[in-house]
Amino acid sequence: MHMLTGMQRCVWAILLLPYLLTLSIPLDCREEQGSLSRCPSISQEKLLDRVIQHAELIYRVSEESCSLFEEMFIPFPLQLQRNQASYACITKALPIPSSKGEIQQISNKWLLHSVLMLVQSWIEPLVYLQTSLDHNDAAPEMLLNKTKWVSEKLISLEQGVVVLIKKMLDEGMLTATRSEQGLFQYDVQPEMLESMMRDYTLLSCFKKDAHKMETFLKLLKCRQTDLYNCA
Amino acid sequence: MKTAFFGRLVPAGLRCPSSEMICAVFCVFHSNFENIMAVLSSSSNLLLLLLISFLDWLSTPGSAFVTGRDHVTSSAPVEPHITECTSRNQETFRCWWSPGNFHNLSSPGTLRLFYLKKVMPTSEWKECPEYIYSNRECFFDMNHTSIWIPYCLQLRSQNLTYFNEDDCFTVENIVHPDPPVSLNWTLLEISPSGLSYDVMVNWEPPPSADVETGWMRIEYEIQYRERNSTNWEALEIQPQTQQTIYGLHIGEEYEVHIRCRMQAFTKFGEFSDSIFIQVTEIASKESTFPLTLVVLFGIVGILILIMLIVVSQQHRLMLILLPPVPAPKIKGIDPELLKKGKLDELNFILSGGGMGGLPTYAQDFYQAEPWVEFIEVEAEDADTGEKKDNQGTDTQRLLSQRISRHINIGFPDDDSGRSSCYNPDLPDQDTLMLMATLLPGQPEDREASFNAVERAPTPERGERPLVQTQTEGPQTWVNTDFYAQVSNVMPSGGVVLSPGQQLRIQESTLATEEKTQKREIKHKWSEDIEDNNQKELQFQLLVVDPEGSGYTTESIARQINTRPSSPVPGEGYQTIHPQPVETKPGATAEDNQSPYILPDSPQPQFFAPVADYTVVQEVDSQHSLLLNPPPRQSPPPCPPQHQLKAIPAMPVGYITPDLLGNLSP
Repeated sequence: MHMLTGMQRCVWAILLLPYLLTLSIPLDCREEQGSLSRCPSISQEKLLDRVIQHAELIYRVSEESCSLFEEMFIPFPLQLQRNQASYACITKALPIPSSKGEIQQISNKWLLHSVLMLVQSWIEPLVYLQTSLDHNDAAPEMLLNKTKWVSEKLISLEQGVVVLIKKMLDEGMLTATRSEQGLFQYDVQPEMLESMMRDYTLLSCFKKDAHKMETFLKLLKCRQTDLYNCA
Repeated sequence: MKTAFFGRLVPAGLRCPSSEMICAVFCVFHSNFENIMAVLSSSSNLLLLLLISFLDWLSTPGSAFVTGRDHVTSSAPVEPHITECTSRNQETFRCWWSPGNFHNLSSPGTLRLFYLKKVMPTSEWKECPEYIYSNRECFFDMNHTSIWIPYCLQLRSQNLTYFNEDDCFTVENIVHPDPPVSLNWTLLEISPSGLSYDVMVNWEPPPSADVETGWMRIEYEIQYRERNSTNWEALEIQPQTQQTIYGLHIGEEYEVHIRCRMQAFTKFGEFSDSIFIQVTEIASKESTFPLTLVVLFGIVGILILIMLIVVSQQHRLMLILLPPVPAPKIKGIDPELLKKGKLDELNFILSGGGMGGLPTYAQDFYQAEPWVEFIEVEAEDADTGEKKDNQGTDTQRLLSQRISRHINIGFPDDDSGRSSCYNPDLPDQDTLMLMATLLPGQPEDREASFNAVERAPTPERGERPLVQTQTEGPQTWVNTDFYAQVSNVMPSGGVVLSPGQQLRIQESTLATEEKTQKREIKHKWSEDIEDNNQKELQFQLLVVDPEGSGYTTESIARQINTRPSSPVPGEGYQTIHPQPVETKPGATAEDNQSPYILPDSPQPQFFAPVADYTVVQEVDSQHSLLLNPPPRQSPPPCPPQHQLKAIPAMPVGYITPDLLGNLSP
């Protein structure tokens, strides 16, 4: 059953890949005077929709990758430890709301910034994950492709969120802050088992955070369209 | 520790005594073993870890609920444990515990539940915010529920703490959505065979799930089965709130239920209540079937009817669609006059009233109409070469024709329309008359014929002022086998047949001749015409040849040609006995041909006026055409049935088209 659904999702993601790739128009349009604007202007609603689509797909693919990894490399008893390992998620220190009540109380600005923080904090760890999996000879091609795709989409998601912040909150252009680099430290000489577990931890943590991003953005959209029902 | 499993320790560098076999083997074994152990040392941690985990897993009687209770197989004493934690809407969740076999802890309050939110390493255990002792349930409301943060639960009795490391979870992973509501179905369509149908099932998302705001993304799974079956068929999981079930069978009852889960998660909620779908046979289907049959048969019947009508009325249709070829026109006469009701004018014209202008008029009239059928009079070419040599004499001119014309009047050899009195070959008198009257004459011949006629009384051979014009006449003659044009009629009753002007027969001479013979009508013009070279005038009138085929053509003409001027026996001919034109200069007498009709008793009235036609009044017993039969001549013993009746009505030889119908065989 798990395998079936995993396969289903793999197919889903692969089918949606071209669609997503077409969506990846650079969103960081700089307003340069007199230059050919290659970035088409996009409405706020459309931009938000696109960002949400990105987040949904990123979550779906990350979930598939995590399941795949789990089935292949993690023995069953250790699968339970992911819950414990989530304790060691890199983003645990981020001041991000974690309950619906909290989310409903915070403002749009805070939501968007939370999303941005999450996205930015995961860009580098995903790169590390990619290299780690490349070193792992037993990792299947599909898994590598998925993780690569996810890290690419994450970057474009970051761009989208930046533009969205600029549009919605009328803030200035935010440069990608890389202060979260310090959060992530990895061993230089990982042992095989530990590297496996670490990758697994990374994947499950990322999956969780992707779900978080997706939920935040959807709540934000609900607020944009119908403020009263999305209390 | 490695060697603990394998007995006593053997130093690695021991050299095995070779003398003792057992010792040697053992030594070898040990040394090899140590090598192997060295290799395995790197992975020992892993193995150990796995082993410990395995043992640990086995030792926990109530395994973590997160993994699912299907893994619980042990029968060891069950200590208090958390049975299940679930969330319905990702906003709250609740957990249940069980005291296990420790029944002394089953009373409420003896066991307490503590949870830990692993937000920070320094977080601490807190007690359940809301107990529901009746269910042994702990409810976490929205304030105490955090998503994406791991929770760990433990049970504490007064002394002991029962904690399973595995009882840790994050709320989004334990979400089991409520089943969808308002499940109903509508019939989409029934297959043409009437055996299966499609159904559209729709529903509402569970009210507890906050789908509108996007808090939860839900996908649904429909399952259905036949009433008596035990296996459920599952349709594809999809996030829409409606789905089509294809291929259900008519008459069978189906049970359908639905469940849902969060998208990209694994845990389904409970199934909804089942609904039942059944579609019975629809009898109305049959009514359309005979209707189509009836329509089909109706169309086929109508088509057959149309076909019958077409076939039965074929002739009429043919007449309508393809009008019959108009009757030959009399050259020189306005076809208007041929229409009904204008007999007087026509007779006037034919009698010569408009003779003067007629030829030219007619000539102009018909010159440009090649389709007008004209009877051609063709001189028999026994010797074609002589045709051209005969241009000099009048006779020649009279007889010469540019175009050889044939006059063949053929009568089919059947008995239709003839009385028994007659020779079977004897044509109807009407027909004869028709033939005679319808012989078109060439306009220019008329003058010549006139001339010839005037000179007719002089049967001597000599230069006759034959018709000159002849040759100038346009070739409007068409080769026909049925008609010859009578261009003029002698006062004596002889008929001048054109174009071959040789037709001017001196009827007087001929009459005498004929009278003697009374047989056939010969165109004995040989007396009149000295020139034999007119063969153009081959005139094969008539033709009835009782002996042979229906009509006489060239063969008989040739036959005739060879014959001398002796009259041909009457029974062989009907009317005119075409005499071959002899081209040999030697021949004189009957050389000529000039087909002509020899009247027995010339009648003056037929003289000039009739230029083109003559009326065959009678046919005598010898089957000769009698153009002006003598009064004494009584009709044949058996008066012909048909003909003479119509004749008196027509003073001048001319057949109206309707008569034509009567005459045609």
